[in-house]
Amino acid sequence: MMRRRYKFTQSLLSHYWLLLLAALLFIPVAIPASLFASWAVNRLVSPPAAPPVYKYGTAYEIEQMWHGEAERLREATDADIDARLTELKRQYPDASLFWIDGEGNTRLQLPESPGRPARWTADEAVAFMKERAYEKSELFTVVAFVGGKERVRPEMMVLELPRSFLSKSYISLYGNRDTAYFGYILAAMFVFYAAISYGFIHRIRRRLLKLEAAMSPTGHSGIPEPVAIGRPDEIGQLEAAFNAMVDELTRSKQREKEEEALRQRLIGSISHDLRTPLTVISSHLYTLAKEPLTDQGRQSVALMEQRIGDLDRLLDHLLSYNLLASGRYALSMKRMDVLRIVRECAAAWYPLWEKEGIEAELALPDAPLVWTVDEQGFRRVLDNLFQNVVRHAREGGYIGIVTDQSGGRTALAIVDRGGGFSAEGGAKGAGLGLAIVGLLLKQMKLKLKIDSSQRGTRVSISPDPDDSTDLAKTDPPF
Amino acid sequence: MLSILYIEDDADIGAWVRRDLESRGYKVVWLTNGERAVEEAAACGLAIVDVMLPGLDGFTVGQRLKQRYPQLPILMLSARTAIDDKLAGLRFADDYVTKPFHPDELAARIEALLRRTGQAPGDMLELNHLCVYERENRIVNRETGEEITLTGKQHQIFRYLLRHLGQIVTKEQMYEAVWGEPYIEGDKTLMVHIRYLREKLERDPANPQVIETIRGIGYRVKR
Repeated sequence: MMRRRYKFTQSLLSHYWLLLLAALLFIPVAIPASLFASWAVNRLVSPPAAPPVYKYGTAYEIEQMWHGEAERLREATDADIDARLTELKRQYPDASLFWIDGEGNTRLQLPESPGRPARWTADEAVAFMKERAYEKSELFTVVAFVGGKERVRPEMMVLELPRSFLSKSYISLYGNRDTAYFGYILAAMFVFYAAISYGFIHRIRRRLLKLEAAMSPTGHSGIPEPVAIGRPDEIGQLEAAFNAMVDELTRSKQREKEEEALRQRLIGSISHDLRTPLTVISSHLYTLAKEPLTDQGRQSVALMEQRIGDLDRLLDHLLSYNLLASGRYALSMKRMDVLRIVRECAAAWYPLWEKEGIEAELALPDAPLVWTVDEQGFRRVLDNLFQNVVRHAREGGYIGIVTDQSGGRTALAIVDRGGGFSAEGGAKGAGLGLAIVGLLLKQMKLKLKIDSSQRGTRVSISPDPDDSTDLAKTDPPF
Repeated sequence: MLSILYIEDDADIGAWVRRDLESRGYKVVWLTNGERAVEEAAACGLAIVDVMLPGLDGFTVGQRLKQRYPQLPILMLSARTAIDDKLAGLRFADDYVTKPFHPDELAARIEALLRRTGQAPGDMLELNHLCVYERENRIVNRETGEEITLTGKQHQIFRYLLRHLGQIVTKEQMYEAVWGEPYIEGDKTLMVHIRYLREKLERDPANPQVIETIRGIGYRVKR
């Protein structure tokens, strides 16, 4: 068988590896990527709300301004300082301003603050400075010596401004929303990944199901139809192998058909070749029997005629058995009144029974007994059974054909008063005939039961109780 | 004298059958293959065709004959008795005899076939005390010399039995042949007709000798 090679990159395995890799990289890659994407999206969807607004300028500007003011007050009197601070308070309404003179007394406070000492000791000043130097302190504090950095005067002026006026977040350009989309983006990436892996499995599953459907024989002659080969991966290879198998099967079926036809022809000609001499012999026996013969001669002729008959039946059985056992005999099952077939068959056999001194007793009901049978097959069954009675139970001088009830079903029984199967050595020929009966009944889903004793044999046929479709029904006439 | 077309390739059997049939009063046209069958059949009242023939097989020959002469009774003769052959052969053939056959059986089948197609060999048939002239539809009681008249249905029933002379026919077969419709179980019509028929034909209708009752199976008229 030819194998189609496939590239690794096209194989299911490589696709699976890719998926696995994606799963491994999901956390280290997807999370930063989502964050970045969220940031970028935020930039895209939220335009800058307003230009930067620092109400009082930056911390640096405030510091510069304060030190500048202090320097400009180098020559100022206390009243000047008060006046300037008051003025500045108007410019910085959110700030609180005060100044400390050379003795450490707190002077003008705009506004007054309860925690502020009226007179500063050295440790209070240090504590204050230490506290305000701390970056996280609530108040942004600038302390400047009046008159400038050279400390020409002992006074200090102080500005306190809540840091919120300088806080970056308070005045953020885009608001604090850079991570707002992170969750959505991560979820979207997860859904995308899940969809891809589902698609991978789904495609495999769909192709396998398609193959499975193709394998259930739908084509004529019970062989599946070949499938169209999809992608050149592992499943594609399977499809190719399947097609090759179907091809092989079709060829072998074809071969089988040819062989069967040959066999049928062969059997036909063998049968012909065997029976033609039999016919010739029997024709000469017939001519011979018309000649004046001694009793011994007549007996011999009769015996030969009987043996020829036996041989003929055996041949017939052999051929029929061959046909049946190989399953070549197609039954056409129909629901029909089997009692009618029984009567017609019995009518054909009656003259022979009469001749052989066999008393026939038919006790069949008037109502039809409807079974599902193949008519020719059923006739064959009856023929073989009747033949057995004539050949092996002649001495009983009786054949009874009756129906009886067993287990709620009507059975058909053929009864004789012969020596029974085991007793007689003459059962030789019965074997093949009965085997044919067995095969035919089995194919018609009918059950065969044989009770044989030295006082006779009872063969009964009934619908198989395991088969519900073949219930023995007694239908009303119409 | 009635001509029978007989197609048989085996010389021994052919010669023997021809001799036997000629001794029974038939004229036999024996061919060893089916080539001239259709031409020869024109003058014959019945055809006996062997299934295994060289060249054209018997089934084909038989089918051609039937197609050309639908009224011609065809009796297939074969060594093959496998079930499928029997079916294929009987689809067009009127009867089927398998080798080896007894010449009496062949003769009986031929007679039955001829009777069925209204070509009975003899003019007069003697049944016990009756003389039956089939072609003239006449039945005469030999003992009294009286002619017996039958009604339409009685006549049809009696004719059906005569066509199957010596065979047993079931009441279903008889009813369906005479009335042309399926037999309904429990229908007493046929029985009633047979009772009247017997009253006309039998010496003692209570103990019928002409139309025999085969208990549980059917009826028979025996020669």
